[in-house]
Amino acid sequence: MGITFDPITLEILWNRLISIVDEADSTVARTAFSSLLRDAHDYTCMFTDRQGRELAQGSMATPGQSGAMALGVKGIVNRLDFERIKPGDVYITNDPWALAGHLNDVCVISPVFYKGGVTGFTGCVFHHSDIGGRVSSDNHDVFEDGLFIPLVKLYDAGVLNEAVIEMIRWNVRTPDEVIGDIRSQTAANHVCSEKICRMLEEYHLDGLDDLADEVIGRTEKSMREAIAGVPDGIYRSRGIVEQMEGKDDLVIEAAVEVKGSDIIVDLEGSSPQVNWGGNVVYNFTFAYVFMAMKSIFDPDIPNNHGCAAPIVLRAPKGTVVNCKFPAAVAARMQVGHFLTEIMYRALAPALPDKVIAASGGTPATMNVFYGRRNDGRPWHTVMIRGGGMGAGSRSDGEYVYIFPANGANTPVEIIESDTPMIVECRELLADSGGPGRMKGGLGRRVVFRMPDDEQAPLPPVNLGIQSGRYRLPPEGLFGGKPGARARFEVNGKTGNPYGLTQLFPGDVVTIDVAGGGGYGNPLERDPTMVEDDVREGYVTREAAQRDYGVVIDSETGRANLRATEELRASRADSAG
Amino acid sequence: MGDKIFRLGCDIGGTFTDFVLLDDETGAISINKCLTTPRDPSDAVEQGILELEEQAPQFVDNLEEVIHGTTLVINSIIERKGAKTALITTKGFRDVLELGREIRYAPYDTFAQYPQPLIPRSLRLEVNERIRSDGSVLKALDSKEAEEVIDRLVAQRVESIAVCLINSFENPLHELMLKELIEKKAPDVSVSISYEVLPQIKEYERTSTTVTNAYVKPLTGRYLSKLSGRLASLGFKGRLFIMLSSGGITSVETASRFPVRIIESGPTAAVISGQYYGRLFGIPEMFCFDMGGTTAKSCLIQRGEAGVVPTFEVGRVQRFRKGSGLTIQVPVVDLMEIGAGGGSIAKVSKMGTLQVGPESSGADPGPICYGRGGAEPCVTDADLILGYLDENYFLGGRMKLNKEAASKGIREKIATPLGVPFIKAVWGIHDLINETMAAAAKTHIAEKGGNPKIVTLAAFGGAGPVHAYGLARKLGCRRLMVPPNAGVGSALGFFTAPRAFDVVRSHKVSLNSAHFGDIERIFRELEEDGARALQAEHSRQDLIFRRSIDARFIGQGSETSIEVPERDFSRVTPQAIRRRFDDRYEQLYGRTYPESPVEFVNFKVRAGLPERLLKLPKIATASGRRTLEEAVKGTRPAYSSSSNDFVAHTVYDRYVLGAGVEFRGPAIVEERESTVVIGENATVRVDDHGFLWIELEES
Repeated sequence: MGITFDPITLEILWNRLISIVDEADSTVARTAFSSLLRDAHDYTCMFTDRQGRELAQGSMATPGQSGAMALGVKGIVNRLDFERIKPGDVYITNDPWALAGHLNDVCVISPVFYKGGVTGFTGCVFHHSDIGGRVSSDNHDVFEDGLFIPLVKLYDAGVLNEAVIEMIRWNVRTPDEVIGDIRSQTAANHVCSEKICRMLEEYHLDGLDDLADEVIGRTEKSMREAIAGVPDGIYRSRGIVEQMEGKDDLVIEAAVEVKGSDIIVDLEGSSPQVNWGGNVVYNFTFAYVFMAMKSIFDPDIPNNHGCAAPIVLRAPKGTVVNCKFPAAVAARMQVGHFLTEIMYRALAPALPDKVIAASGGTPATMNVFYGRRNDGRPWHTVMIRGGGMGAGSRSDGEYVYIFPANGANTPVEIIESDTPMIVECRELLADSGGPGRMKGGLGRRVVFRMPDDEQAPLPPVNLGIQSGRYRLPPEGLFGGKPGARARFEVNGKTGNPYGLTQLFPGDVVTIDVAGGGGYGNPLERDPTMVEDDVREGYVTREAAQRDYGVVIDSETGRANLRATEELRASRADSAG
Repeated sequence: MGDKIFRLGCDIGGTFTDFVLLDDETGAISINKCLTTPRDPSDAVEQGILELEEQAPQFVDNLEEVIHGTTLVINSIIERKGAKTALITTKGFRDVLELGREIRYAPYDTFAQYPQPLIPRSLRLEVNERIRSDGSVLKALDSKEAEEVIDRLVAQRVESIAVCLINSFENPLHELMLKELIEKKAPDVSVSISYEVLPQIKEYERTSTTVTNAYVKPLTGRYLSKLSGRLASLGFKGRLFIMLSSGGITSVETASRFPVRIIESGPTAAVISGQYYGRLFGIPEMFCFDMGGTTAKSCLIQRGEAGVVPTFEVGRVQRFRKGSGLTIQVPVVDLMEIGAGGGSIAKVSKMGTLQVGPESSGADPGPICYGRGGAEPCVTDADLILGYLDENYFLGGRMKLNKEAASKGIREKIATPLGVPFIKAVWGIHDLINETMAAAAKTHIAEKGGNPKIVTLAAFGGAGPVHAYGLARKLGCRRLMVPPNAGVGSALGFFTAPRAFDVVRSHKVSLNSAHFGDIERIFRELEEDGARALQAEHSRQDLIFRRSIDARFIGQGSETSIEVPERDFSRVTPQAIRRRFDDRYEQLYGRTYPESPVEFVNFKVRAGLPERLLKLPKIATASGRRTLEEAVKGTRPAYSSSSNDFVAHTVYDRYVLGAGVEFRGPAIVEERESTVVIGENATVRVDDHGFLWIELEES
């Protein structure tokens, strides 16, 4: 039997675990090279106990990486031969099936040695902007996606494995950046591991095991108590994910069974895997099913192995939600992110106050721009962005977040200093939020110009996009209307967002991200809230009347309550 | 005796204004405390100074410096009571302020709330202009349109304008033109341009900081000029310094131009005095805890140093959660402030549970027991009923407290609706606020890698020593320290604060191609700027400059700071700097890469005046003064959590306690501005300087 912790010490140690991993997290921001990491925060740091059970993860982690990593690192740790692990060993891999679902997510894992033995593992997954390959969502298989690194040692007892670095160097477009970021990964693990040992020393602990049992056990108990509060039953929904022109839309069938304190999610009946991007590996599917359940049942408790324990996922092999090697997986988020809203829709009748309507940031939009400057130097940048969030029963959707994934924007001034492009605007789109009693979040427009003066890049500039919602907008809930669709235009003409686009000096690219779905009947929205929205330019006067039945006086800018009442009554009549 | 030199520290809090007068020759200290006057805070300053003159007649004639800190600025942001402010920005970017960095700070919380920007969208206007990332002009500013924009803002009666244009940190031309236009067309409107407030890359952080500066600038300017006027009318001829959030001090002129730099001015003083004590007594880890009327501020001080962070947040919408506040990018002492004070209001929540704080009754009306019209039960009301405070000795007896009214309030508003025994409700208020502070403290200590079991808890503020014992128990601290005059003790920090100002210039150049002579010139210019900001009539020899460089591997996005002790950079070799960078990098991140090229990004100078030390006066020993028995004022029943009942506490007069005496709890030590509560399982020792050292036994 292990040692027990008094409640105060436990709370302090638990806080400490999180602050340790957050310190590793901020090490990345300080040491990374690509703006996708240092500015957009597309990475996750975590650490596990000896058995590979996740103990803590960075507070601002993106749920896809962290959920998939929790499974992935455990799987890898269980494969390692503990007899042969030496201090100073560092492992690297980007195997999509073992980890986070696409090649760009490179994972570095280091054992933590304490008192002569392994006491845990630190791991971090970084989304590398560049992993070679063909940067497009219509790749046919994983070989087109880029360089595949199986689980190998990056350092062997502290000595760098130069062959691995050379192999990477000659398979990517911007090697200095990629290798710099891998160095940043080893730095993050180093900081994490050093702080873990300092904590163990300070509290006279022999290792992480007893603490892990306590933290994970309490977490699982808390999650189970919340699940047990929902009536048993099977809740179903179906999601349709639009695909590029000429391909059938994908269908995801979900049956969510609540049984005591267990949740069993079965995706039987979902579309078979496809020979283009958008296939999702099991780990990544699990991550966004888990995201839905954690956000519904226990959003506040810090994430660790215990949160996921009550959830069972059944996803038939060979379907788009559990694809087999060598399927193309580069665009896995185009489908994987939808799992969360599909779970929300299934559970909405049972838990109407815990879910939100569909979000414009599902899936996250990713733009990869690359090319050469006028002096021939290569440049490569990846930007991720969200849209309007769906509305909830008591809250309007927030404006412009990636959801259910997470990540920050890249500042315009960083984009312009890292690339030859000019950003002409980054602004909210009026009327893009889905009308409802609670309004969906607004979508957002960004416009890029390729300069055609002395700073023009060498033609062409390549643009790969991963996103969605060009045809099927984010739906509302309980009578709320959908948000605005996404758009992609080159020089004012609709482009193909699912292929690789070539741009030339003077070209202007417009990227609109979708708005969130509304919640409840828009004719029931408080007219003064509509008045505020019109004053601040979130909703136009015309849309106020058309979508909400609210008449805004053009002189005063105030809602005309009597005219509004009459208009709404006539709408209700015609609807009835 | 006419050539005595005095310095005065003055700290305006939400509830009380504290004064500490220091006789620079002897180190003798006189103190005072009076209620803050929210309508015109300088009223309280005048009243406090006049009262102090009774202790030190005519000291104002010999007053060399007044050092001032205030929570006025931060409160106006939290309460959204700043000026009506507008933003002028580049076409296409008016939503930068609202969009922020777009990261969800609580990834699994679908319903997380985000702060509203200080300027609504309808007051964020755009102008046609564009600067490129290399500083060249892509599109010239359309001045005619700019004038129309300014006219529109004037018509809307805007009091303050923030200007933040894309890439202006590389070329301020258009921002400066707009500033000139605003000054010409609307001379009464206050202007803040981003190039002057924060000339650094990343448009959101720069806009947010500039907007915050603009939002509080009119109010800060009015207040500081009024204060200067008041002091002059009292005969003050010395210099007025304002405490910076970073722990330094600056001139009134600089503080009025950049009020965003003094946001944490008030709370910082406690940290500075904590730092001083930490060094003085060689305490490796000290947790400095300052609880006043409205908030509690705390900070972990490790080896005599508090952390300074380059950016912070104000007005977090979700308590304690990083990312839920407005970002401000100025250096600030790394402290934690929560809404827990003597004035924190207790109420029954919607869920039918007890809730204490973060709302506060402030100075006006204050807790029920103040008898100034307050009707909501507060922490101070509970402390009074529990026997910790003496109704006849609050502020040394200057303010009579009404225990009966406090009891009635708690009975009617808390005990009866909750259906619990009266005393349980009263103790619940005291205990719950301790619990709230302990939760926040644990997070802060863990974040800094500290260990509560080895920290010494240092208590400051009027309510700090009343709650410190309970807090220490909850944290598992073994030792508690209460300095003399703890009730205003934090104001001592004003005298030990480094009189320093930080200046920075961005200039990206690779180490290999940098011209070290040019860099020496940059450093010298920065030193000039720093000297000016200190407004020193001091000769340059008196000033101390600390130089540093932010450097990074080419391609990285963040920098590693390296110290530059050399006085002439042109004589430093690139190899020496490179080695310094590699050493530092390896120390921080475990490995360095000497083959990868490095670049310089920022050059920084901290300009400072020489440190002026504080003499801590000694108190008389017990034998030379009076015995322990003579310090006993009597006993009174006070609530003991370990006995769950009232037990007799010995009450000591702090001014009579001699050096070297020791006694055991349960005890209460009274001084005018605060009361120290000591539970049963602890011993107290009084040292040569009158500090109380309380050792807590396992209970």
